[in-house]
Amino acid sequence: MATVANYANIFVRYDLISSGEAKGAKVSSKDAALQKVLQCVLEGDSDNIEAAVNEALASKDPMTVINEGLIKGMNEVSRLWDEGVYYLPQAIVASDAMLKGLEICEKKLGKSLEKKGTVITHTAEGDIHDLGQKIVNALLRANGFEVVDLGKDVPVDEVVAAVKKYNPVMLTGTALMTTTMTAFERISNRLTKDGYATPFVCGGGAVSLEYVTGYNLGIYGKDASQAPGMASDAVNGLSWSQLREKWNS
Amino acid sequence: MPKFEKMAYASSDEMIFGTAKNPVKYGRDFTVGGGYVFPELVPHPRPGTEATKKTLVKEYEKMVTDVLDRCVAIGIPGIQIELEHVYQMTRNPDWGGEIAAETKRLQEEYYRKFGLKSAIRATIADYRKPDEEDIRNSVALENMLKTFETSAAGGADNLSIESVGGKEISDYTIVRQDIRGTLFGIGVLGSRDMEFMWKKVVEIANKYGATPGGDTNCAQANVAMFMAGGYQDRSVPHTFAALTRAIAAARTLVAYEQGAKGPTKDCGYEDVIIKAITGNPISMEGKTCACAHSDLLGNLVAACCDLWSNEAVEYHDMFGGTTVAVFTEILGYDVALMNTAIEMGHAKILKELMVQSDKYRDTHGFILCPENAYEIGKAIVSNNTSYYARARAAAIKAGELMLGDSNLQMSAFEKESLQSAMRTLESLPDKEEDFISECADIYKKLIPGFTLANYGL
Ligand code: B12
Repeated sequence: MATVANYANIFVRYDLISSGEAKGAKVSSKDAALQKVLQCVLEGDSDNIEAAVNEALASKDPMTVINEGLIKGMNEVSRLWDEGVYYLPQAIVASDAMLKGLEICEKKLGKSLEKKGTVITHTAEGDIHDLGQKIVNALLRANGFEVVDLGKDVPVDEVVAAVKKYNPVMLTGTALMTTTMTAFERISNRLTKDGYATPFVCGGGAVSLEYVTGYNLGIYGKDASQAPGMASDAVNGLSWSQLREKWNS
Repeated sequence: MPKFEKMAYASSDEMIFGTAKNPVKYGRDFTVGGGYVFPELVPHPRPGTEATKKTLVKEYEKMVTDVLDRCVAIGIPGIQIELEHVYQMTRNPDWGGEIAAETKRLQEEYYRKFGLKSAIRATIADYRKPDEEDIRNSVALENMLKTFETSAAGGADNLSIESVGGKEISDYTIVRQDIRGTLFGIGVLGSRDMEFMWKKVVEIANKYGATPGGDTNCAQANVAMFMAGGYQDRSVPHTFAALTRAIAAARTLVAYEQGAKGPTKDCGYEDVIIKAITGNPISMEGKTCACAHSDLLGNLVAACCDLWSNEAVEYHDMFGGTTVAVFTEILGYDVALMNTAIEMGHAKILKELMVQSDKYRDTHGFILCPENAYEIGKAIVSNNTSYYARARAAAIKAGELMLGDSNLQMSAFEKESLQSAMRTLESLPDKEEDFISECADIYKKLIPGFTLANYGL
């Protein structure tokens, strides 16, 4: 059988453009113990973070380890991800390591670090496609938010009740099926009727900008990586319509 | 336990679209893998129509009529229609049954009037939640089994499912690029759940004289593949997704070990490997499923297909008719070209053209081109001491193939991901029980709700 001499007119490997050397992290710490913590976060090394944090805590106070090690490392991970050096898994395992380290520091502090705010997440009633939601959870937690994870296939009533119970800064919904996303509109109607103005960020394969901006409270979330930025905006007092204006136009 | 010990084909050269070693005949004079390819059209209802049984049955009636009309309008010899259940059709067993019956009524009418050959696949929605319920004894399972029955009684010829066993593990591990956990979730837990599930599906199919069709690793390997996405996506490395697919082949095989006959389920991209091992006819989807999702092997994946599908298209109007009619036409002409090649003795050439279009476009197409798929199949059957051993062998073989062909280009990042996964795979224990106990310890801690009992462990 004849072979193809030249594939250039069949397909172009755009993925190989400027893919050469993986560019490394730019942050470091002069302190050897903090450097180890930083390194564990950058490499997503959950196996060794405990030892590294404990070592750093021997000579530093917990807030220093948090700010100069854990959070500094995580900020660098976010940058590397934004610039396309890291892939999603690198960001997630880094966040796992960071959270594990944080827990140890908080124990030493004797209290939990104040969270930036509470966000409720869920996957629509009838829908078990919850991977997008799980990514949203991980990224929100990595960015210092308290996440109330209602799980998948969550009845409308339960979502409404949770909003009333926790009064979150933001509510999120994920739906991958056009036949389940209709629950979002029902949630919006119920919340609006009861006087809640909680920003409701809806994402997932099936939903579209057009659909989500068709009901009150709705803000369209295209990519999970937007969730922390949106939640920060909500904490800073942006209303659902201002959030929609900022993220959806 | 694994059953297949040898390959159905002597080499990948023997494998070709339209012909399978074990053709399946059902429906209205409809034979799959008996020498020619047929289209498989999957219509999807518009949002809102799922509100009541009446509106949903009506929606299906319209969609199916449009499909059959277009077949007759342009001369398509035969077609399979897949009823890929939306949640409500499985949740309410009588809905699924009634829609199957209505589809059959319409297909019979067109068979009587025009001789249009046809068949129905019903794919029940697996909405069990492995991390929240006892998946071997839950209301969801009960409803699913009832819906298999109502569908078969209503007239479904082929019973299929996209089962989700092990998904609670792989959801966690795929986004963390953890190959060990992915092997555990798909290769061990997925396989065990399929053994449990398929005994039941085969029993129901036999009771009603329907054909047990197939399963797909949509819940896991497709997650990895869709997340890997196109050239610019950075969610999951493409090399990692390709390893996941090889593992999936060892898992999907379990359906056929329990008595499924095919044609397999369209979104199981691992099915080329399944055909190589079992000789059962396969349904595939590629460029024609761009309406549902994008992939990097749109032509290649048709090389050995027996049914050619569109995955799912939502019912809407287009300039050329409704979407389901338009996709029937696209599939119909694709298949006509394949069957012309068969009639004129050029099938092997067309197969080669399909393969060369995409073999080096991406790692997924590379490992699924017939010659590589065949090699992965061989690794599976020659390591059949346990579900684990053969799934691990499949992944290692896929990795070796990717690293061994210099025409397959990879970025430094992709290559490093692959090499790192290979190091892990090679360092794993040889015995299944050792692997299970290692993983049980690790993932019980990491994944809330994960219980071994769901997998008979
Ligand atoms: C994997 C998959 C499954 C897996 C799900 C595994 C899991 N843990 O989620 C399984 C096998 C279980 C499954 C089952 C079914 N599936 Co399915 N599935 C898919 C598939 C192939 C990929 C979905 C996926 O995981 N994508 C990756 C994730 C990460 O993407 P995502 O959730 O969209 O999230 C991204 C963004 O949307 C966003 N995002 C999401 N949420 C949020 C929230 C916020 C706040 C923000 C900011 C962003 C954001 O961020 C993420 C990226 O960063 C799609 C195909 C497709 N084209 O999408 C079909 C698909 C969604 N499935 C479909 C169907 C029909 C089904 C079934 C009914 C089939 C059946 N009969 O068995 C059942 C459903 C059962 C049920 N009750 O839910 C259809 C839906 C059609 C429709 N539009 O209505 C699709 C489109 C396939 C098709 N046939 O065309 N499926």
